[in-house]
Amino acid sequence: MKRGKIGLALLEMVMIAVALVFLYPMILVLINSFKSFGEVMRNVVALPEKLTVENYVYVWKFIDYPQLFLNNVIITVVGVAGIIALSSLAAYKLSRTKSKLSNILYLACILPMLVPFQSIMITVLKLAKDMGLSDSTWGLGVIYWGFGVPLAVFIYHGFVKGIPRELDESAMIDGASSFRTFGSVILPLLKPVTTTVIIIDVMWIWNDFLLPLLMVNGSQSTKTLTLAAYTFVGQYNTDWQYAMTAMTMAVLPSVIVFMLLQKHIVKGVVAGAVKG
Amino acid sequence: MFNAGIKSRAGREFFLFVIPAVTGVLFAFYIPFVMSMAYSLTEWNGINSNPAFIGLDNFQALIRDRNFLNASLFTLKYSILFIVLVNVLAVLIALALDRPLKTRTALRAAFFVPYILSLVIVGFIWRFIFMQGFDSLYEQTGWSIFQWSWLGENTLAFLSVLLVSVWQSVGFYIVIYLAGLQSVPADVMEAAVVDGAGPVRRFFGVTLPLLAPSVTIAVFMALTNSIKIFDVILSLTAGGPGGSTVSVSYDIYRDTFQNNLYGYGTAKALVLFFAVMVITVVQLAYFKRREVES
Repeated sequence: MKRGKIGLALLEMVMIAVALVFLYPMILVLINSFKSFGEVMRNVVALPEKLTVENYVYVWKFIDYPQLFLNNVIITVVGVAGIIALSSLAAYKLSRTKSKLSNILYLACILPMLVPFQSIMITVLKLAKDMGLSDSTWGLGVIYWGFGVPLAVFIYHGFVKGIPRELDESAMIDGASSFRTFGSVILPLLKPVTTTVIIIDVMWIWNDFLLPLLMVNGSQSTKTLTLAAYTFVGQYNTDWQYAMTAMTMAVLPSVIVFMLLQKHIVKGVVAGAVKG
Repeated sequence: MFNAGIKSRAGREFFLFVIPAVTGVLFAFYIPFVMSMAYSLTEWNGINSNPAFIGLDNFQALIRDRNFLNASLFTLKYSILFIVLVNVLAVLIALALDRPLKTRTALRAAFFVPYILSLVIVGFIWRFIFMQGFDSLYEQTGWSIFQWSWLGENTLAFLSVLLVSVWQSVGFYIVIYLAGLQSVPADVMEAAVVDGAGPVRRFFGVTLPLLAPSVTIAVFMALTNSIKIFDVILSLTAGGPGGSTVSVSYDIYRDTFQNNLYGYGTAKALVLFFAVMVITVVQLAYFKRREVES
């Protein structure tokens, strides 16, 4: 028993050491975002001589951080809200309707889960341009609908099966329309899956790079945080102190949200993977 | 008459619920896919120009395209190593974090953090570490490993891409395995201990078979993610040195948007599409069969 305890304490120490090494690159980025150019060049691993936010003030203004943040919020909110609305409605009806057509449409909805985006991106861009959805944050949000539907329909579909039909039927007998039933009876019951879908899709859309690069990279006013950090680091690839600052600013929102909602996020990601 | 009324109302409702989602998927996947089939048969140098029909020329050129061959080999090699490495590491760390450690919640979070970062940023972070950070670490420690040219030499650059990708996503696989480990019943484990099975025996005899569903999921996710690797390469190595870290996705991107070979890029993308479909179907069938057997 005693040996087990010592072993456990040893394992704990080893794991803490491994975790620190694992996180060290991120710590270095944070430390260097507070340094001057000379300090970064002299020694990357040393702590900054004095705590200044000069780099942050400079980068904040240069990349117009509030605008980028707003762009990210618009794209993510429009995208996720649409995915939830479209998918929950469709998955509910597809799961409740037993017919050949319903099965075919369900398969048609979830099959694209297996398609890598890069294999169709060229014509997606062409189509988006033709439809006037490119070069706009709202448009990009809408473009995410189609890409988010397959996984979301799949997750919702599995969950709706577990909701007893009697609930819909008794609401219908009480005279509620189909949409009413969905809105006031089914949707509240879907809350746990909706949380899962929100978590997975927010993480995906907020951090996504290739689709925004193709769609909204043309103008400074439509860029996302990641895109701006990408362009910025490309231009300032020798001014490491600014690059580190831009990167810290780009990832900070995600890290803060993760710290606050850690449990839910991990649970949501696992649920999404296990069902997807 | 009444019945028909209900039926058509139900039918109308069915479509009202389902059509928006189907339309979304139609525009995101099916229409672009059909367009890809058409454009892959053309010479087309940009979004606004008129494509010229050239039959199967693109596909013929593709067979002789050394860049595409090298990119395919890179992607294959990378995917296999990524799948093995990320899963082995994730299982090991998950086994450790499954023990009653005091700091397990914090540790779990620590390994998960990189997963919430954007891959492009992760590539830049490591570019900085490899280029600047390692210099300083070499001065401090004198270890020659920090002096190696991690982004400037073919094999090392390949390793860098691999390690950085594993670093970014291992947390995701850890939590999948941790969830799987919850389903290993304590009494089965105790019985194995009573029978005198050592830790290694217990792992291969009890834990691993019970983890089979998690392995299926994790390998599947690792495959789908590794086969389309793009972002990390763009920001970490930009395909270098000498094109040795160009993946299929990156090759398609370069040919299409940098060399303006839109028609040719579309043909390559279609090849990627069919390759991924075949691999996915084979893999799903294989794991389905194995799970049923065990």
